[in-house]
Amino acid sequence: MAKVMVYPPTSMILADLVERMGHEALVISKEVRKKVTTPGLDSPPLNMTAEDPKKGLKYAAVDVPSGVRGRMSLLGPMIEEANAAIVIKDNACTLGCTGCARTNELTRLLLRTKRIPLLELDYPKDEGEAKRFVHEIHQFLEELE
Amino acid sequence: MRVTKCVVTAQDSEVLPSDIAMKMYESGREINVKETCFGVIIDGEEEDVEEIMNEIRAMDPNNIFVKDRGFPPGDPRRCRGHRGGGARPGFYMLEHESAMLPLISQGLASEERGEEPALAEEKKHLSEGRLEEIIEEEFS
Amino acid sequence: MIRIAQLSCGPEYSGVQKELETAAEMVGAKLIFPEVSLEDIKNVEESFGVEVASGDLNLAMARATRIVENPDLADAVFVATCFRCAEGAIVRSEIRKFIHENSAIPVLSYSFTERTTADTLLTRMEALVTTAKYKGLLSRERQTGLTAGIDSGSTTTKSVIMRDNEVIGTGWVPTTEVLKSAEEAYDAALKEAGVKKEEIEGLGTTGYGRHLVGKHFGAKLIQEEITVNSKGAVFLADAQKGPATVIDIGGMDNKAISVQDGIPGTFTMGGICAGASGRFLELSAKRLGVDITELGKLALKGDHTKVPMNSYCIVFGTQSLVNSLSAGSKPEDVAMAACHSVAEQVFEQQLQEVEVKEPVIMVGGTSLIEGLPRAMEQLLGIDVIVPHHSQFIGCVGASLLVSGLVED
Repeated sequence: MAKVMVYPPTSMILADLVERMGHEALVISKEVRKKVTTPGLDSPPLNMTAEDPKKGLKYAAVDVPSGVRGRMSLLGPMIEEANAAIVIKDNACTLGCTGCARTNELTRLLLRTKRIPLLELDYPKDEGEAKRFVHEIHQFLEELE
Repeated sequence: MRVTKCVVTAQDSEVLPSDIAMKMYESGREINVKETCFGVIIDGEEEDVEEIMNEIRAMDPNNIFVKDRGFPPGDPRRCRGHRGGGARPGFYMLEHESAMLPLISQGLASEERGEEPALAEEKKHLSEGRLEEIIEEEFS
Repeated sequence: MIRIAQLSCGPEYSGVQKELETAAEMVGAKLIFPEVSLEDIKNVEESFGVEVASGDLNLAMARATRIVENPDLADAVFVATCFRCAEGAIVRSEIRKFIHENSAIPVLSYSFTERTTADTLLTRMEALVTTAKYKGLLSRERQTGLTAGIDSGSTTTKSVIMRDNEVIGTGWVPTTEVLKSAEEAYDAALKEAGVKKEEIEGLGTTGYGRHLVGKHFGAKLIQEEITVNSKGAVFLADAQKGPATVIDIGGMDNKAISVQDGIPGTFTMGGICAGASGRFLELSAKRLGVDITELGKLALKGDHTKVPMNSYCIVFGTQSLVNSLSAGSKPEDVAMAACHSVAEQVFEQQLQEVEVKEPVIMVGGTSLIEGLPRAMEQLLGIDVIVPHHSQFIGCVGASLLVSGLVED
């Protein structure tokens, strides 16, 4: 079973396809869960504090905006854990954890340079594209085993 | 560890959110179920949730999708009623991808049947000569 | 409860969302998030004018459009993005302009880092709430009765006594211990005015120490310096009708405020580093071996173009100063370069964020350093007015506004 990071890491479609084919989907909600269920922290909405952008220094320098470094403190560990990734290229509806384009660009760069099996595609717009979309993901995930 | 999942049905599914909720109640597991406009939000211990997910999917495999959620259901930190209004960012993504689910369902059905999808039509670039012709046609 | 619509990108991930909410709570306001649909976000190119790469900024623009279409949704707007994000800064500026041009809702624009705290935001939030809540009080044009004002600043403490729309006594002391300095300044003003403390009908306080001083003296009005100083400025410059721009360069920070018909509107407050404040001029005067009160006259004789100097950071600014003196530059040129450098920082940082409309009024203790208003005139290409009593605008504004509460 592989740990497959999905991008956008908020994608229900990708995560579902990964899981139904028997692998573990790395999604950002799992990182958010760790944060919001930590007792003793009270920093709504996500329980992120000034310490998190500092953790993000591992991935981006101090002169990179705090919002990038904060988001990377959530995404970085996922990227490190991943042994494969599926990336959707067209970035419609990236908000919240994926609401910063610089963070998204850095995430895609780090996934690519990690040299793990990587599948890139676009969201399907019609039936033909949808069939190819699901088929390619299916084949990719089968080959991971 | 307690986990929260959203169970989302594609528009073409004959399974209603209430059917899913009923299946959860019948399972006798300690799982909280809440119906929403997209489907159902459930939370419970990870093992219980994993097990029930397989049963739920089996109700309509190509039309039921599962999304993990970081916040427990009704958490005031992500509740419209508590946080000065406004939808949570995850809600927009859910809405955006939900609209695509019928297509994904078709893709899954096609895979199930073992069909080889048709190749994408290759878009041919226009030759320079033809572009010139079009320009001349327009301005003549 | 004043509702401040938050249009932002990044505070939740920078760990400062709680600080924003605390600051709002401290000034009796609540942050709200106007509802928008997914369609609104996708249509932002058409409705606002551009769709950018970062989704959260598109969401902010969609919210701005919604507020302009439904002004009842919010009493004020707070636009905030990460410091050092160019995309964020551009969108923030455009949102501010958009709301300002299409509604009467006051807007506060801010760039935060992970180190931003509720205290950093407090003065700005207070000013935002004041402009949203107290339009009636702020429209007051005449001081009536016998009232007083105390401005407890970081560097100096000032006081005035006013009667029937005239300043009849002033006091000015360096700030040492806050309450002690306030007593000294107040006593000096009362002495000059020839009145006793008990005769004063109402006292208003402002400045960093306003809460402590206000509580001590039982002030009827305790108000932040953004609204109060701009009110005092347009009063003293007799510019309470039509537009005006107030530039207040203080001992440690600086502010630029747009005023319309005597009511303060958009404002920015800066001081990324003390290089854009009186602190740098103090340092320059010391290094040049002149009293701060003589620096201005010296600067007027000089030519800043002969001495390159940039005080974005006070440390680098001081280095330039020292280097130029060792290279044989004339003291008057160095003095004018120091004034020019401070004016330039304010010009680049603050004056790009407010619409600069004449008359431009320079106030605060630094306005008495003649080289500084001259440097600002050169940069803006517009005449700059330094009204009489320009260093007392805080206490004049407080005294004027408190007379409105006394009448009631």
